Amino acid sequence: MAEIFIDNKRFEYDQPTKVLQFILDQGLDLPHFCYHPALSIPANCRQCYVEAGLPVFDREKNAYELDANGDRVIRWFPKLQTACSLDATDGMVIKTHVTSELVRRGQKDVLEFILINHPLDCPICDQAGECPLQEQTYKYGPEGSRFEHKKVHKPKRIQLGPRVVLDAERCINCTRCVRFTQEISKTHQLTIVQRGDNNYPMTAPGHVFDDPYSMNTVDICPVGALTASDFRFKARVWEMASTPSIDLTNGKGCSVDLWTRDNLVLRITPRFNPAVNGHWMPDSGRAAFATLNHDRVDKPLVRLDGEAIPTSWNNALLTFTERVTAANRIAVVGSPHASTEDNYVFKRFFEAAGKGAAVFVPHVIPGSGDGFLLSDDQAPNATGARLLGLAETQAAALAAEVTAADLVVVLNDDLVGRGVLRAEDLAGKTITFASNHNATTAAADLVVPVTNGAEHVGTYVNVDGRAQRTIPAKETSRTDRRLNLEMSSGRLDTFGTRFDNWVSDLNRIDCVPAWEFLTEASQELGTGLYYESARDVLAEIAARIDAFAGISYERMDDERGIALLATNETVSA
Amino acid sequence: MATYVFTAEQLAQIEAIKSRYPSVQSATMPVLWLAQDAFGHVDADVQQLVADTLGLPASHVHGVATFYTQYYKEKKGKHVLDVCTCLSCHISGGYDMLHHLENRLGIKAGETTPDGLFTIQSVECLGACGYAPMMQITNDVFVNELTPEKLDQVIDTLKKGGSPDFEPIGLVNNRETA
Ligand code: SF4
Ligand code: FES
Ligand code: FES
Repeated sequence: MAEIFIDNKRFEYDQPTKVLQFILDQGLDLPHFCYHPALSIPANCRQCYVEAGLPVFDREKNAYELDANGDRVIRWFPKLQTACSLDATDGMVIKTHVTSELVRRGQKDVLEFILINHPLDCPICDQAGECPLQEQTYKYGPEGSRFEHKKVHKPKRIQLGPRVVLDAERCINCTRCVRFTQEISKTHQLTIVQRGDNNYPMTAPGHVFDDPYSMNTVDICPVGALTASDFRFKARVWEMASTPSIDLTNGKGCSVDLWTRDNLVLRITPRFNPAVNGHWMPDSGRAAFATLNHDRVDKPLVRLDGEAIPTSWNNALLTFTERVTAANRIAVVGSPHASTEDNYVFKRFFEAAGKGAAVFVPHVIPGSGDGFLLSDDQAPNATGARLLGLAETQAAALAAEVTAADLVVVLNDDLVGRGVLRAEDLAGKTITFASNHNATTAAADLVVPVTNGAEHVGTYVNVDGRAQRTIPAKETSRTDRRLNLEMSSGRLDTFGTRFDNWVSDLNRIDCVPAWEFLTEASQELGTGLYYESARDVLAEIAARIDAFAGISYERMDDERGIALLATNETVSA
Repeated sequence: MATYVFTAEQLAQIEAIKSRYPSVQSATMPVLWLAQDAFGHVDADVQQLVADTLGLPASHVHGVATFYTQYYKEKKGKHVLDVCTCLSCHISGGYDMLHHLENRLGIKAGETTPDGLFTIQSVECLGACGYAPMMQITNDVFVNELTPEKLDQVIDTLKKGGSPDFEPIGLVNNRETA
């Protein structure tokens, strides 16, 4: 075990490591901008300066040379070193700003240089509040600047591509964005143009930054130079709450954070998960924030004379149970888009009814995947449905089944919209659970509004067999952030009231998790299903189905998801 | 939009250049030179041609082309007067020289005279700090230890179709030995 001394404390390490990464791994702070653990190390920002030295080794005595006090004699590197590019070596001694006046001075001076031409427009900058430049300047920067000449002006509000906007004046030329397109997404769309104090990142003339992963550059930009077109000026970061969740738009199930304010999801950003997505996520998954908020089924809908009319939950429950009781043969269509909990209760409910077994149709678009973070599978939980024992079926077989049945019940899956069934197949005999209006809800007689991944706790098993779960991020008409202690709260959630004018209570959707509605229906029919919570459902799944043995929300949280498939191979989608 | 193509002969030269380096990326600069000699500039279209010919990302070629003032990103005058205004030259009066030229030719740095004869550029260090203030003419001759009178002479010489001589300071013409 090799040792390294940081600010007079001894640490041990066994894997080769860079000094900065090691310091960060210990939970210690060292200011830095250009270094990113997933990218190459250019050491261009010079912010991570430390003093470094090595003990003098006496080869003849085969021991470290000691001074009069019995301490090791240290030979210091003549100049400050960039910790990000410095390999830790056995016995190395590091002084950071904690113990070194020289380092403190170095950090201040580098920041003074970095800020020479920076516009210092934090009050109108989206990055403020989550800006490494702002934070580090507060913590380690100079009080003012000795550079009092006119600042260099550069292009502002440049639409680099459909989703990313550049303010070149804010850029500190760390090259993280450029390295991302070179090393991670490999589109090579960005470069640094010009030189000296005119530097900034840009695409080649006539080229557009339409990289399918372009918005990751917004996340890793350590300043407000790159911002997301769809999030600019929407909210200050401290007004939002962030909730760990997963991307439900693709079979890969990237770990994400949902950022909410006033019960609207305003943006979706990747959450580090080495087992799934590393630091990144595709732009397509981020666009889902709109579907989480808008075009939602709000209150149950019944079709009367061809028109969808909002109705009460009582009436919806009654209609549902009556139709199920009256039916002779039911086509029970589960969903690769719904959670494991919902699919499980759905399947059990109809097992009890005994009029048809649950099936599901995978949502796969062959060739749409990219071998990185987008799989061909468009649904987040096909593997979950499969492991629960829902029978996998295809369009033609399902159409036949639907024709033969006198009632079709669909669990949150736009079968018409994605071309599995035609609206005519469903007309006059369909009940669907749905969170958004779509072609299937338009064909149904009864639409039961259900929660989406931003509103419920749900387990989803991705294409690689990894089970991860969602945590509610936005309230429905039936949930309350202050009662559900699992929900995170932003500043406005905590301090706003329904009566002040900076929070809005309008964005709550009247919907329930499908399992909850089915539990009530089961009570109504006397078929004996009863669950208090999603946790209850999961506990039963874990107890009854081998593939899910030992699964719990706590484990999924602590272990960043649980691998359910013994082999590492990708489930054929 | 003008379309540019390399001749077979130029393509052969490019192959020869590529063979000198372990990776194609290294050929970017000499091939940009070759293109500039061929077309007089390396504007966006020429940069794209170079990228396509070398099979490199267009962004890479663009980054290199914009880094160096010596690559002309647009059509320039017949004579490009690159006046150094970097540190050493600045201290020795580089900006005075630049302004003298601007007044004499009636254009600003970055502009070209209406007759297409002269372009003035203010550039970064050309590595001749010992002879500051200095300027370079069309990526070629260095004119050292500038004074307003010397500048006037140079302009007159150029207008008459001549070219100032290299000054004997032990520098070689890099372009020809390269
Ligand atoms: S735009 Fe941001 S990420 Fe890109 S070089 Fe500038 S500061 Fe770095
Ligand atoms: S983080 Fe080390 S030089 Fe930028
Ligand atoms: S500063 Fe002008 S040549 Fe170096």
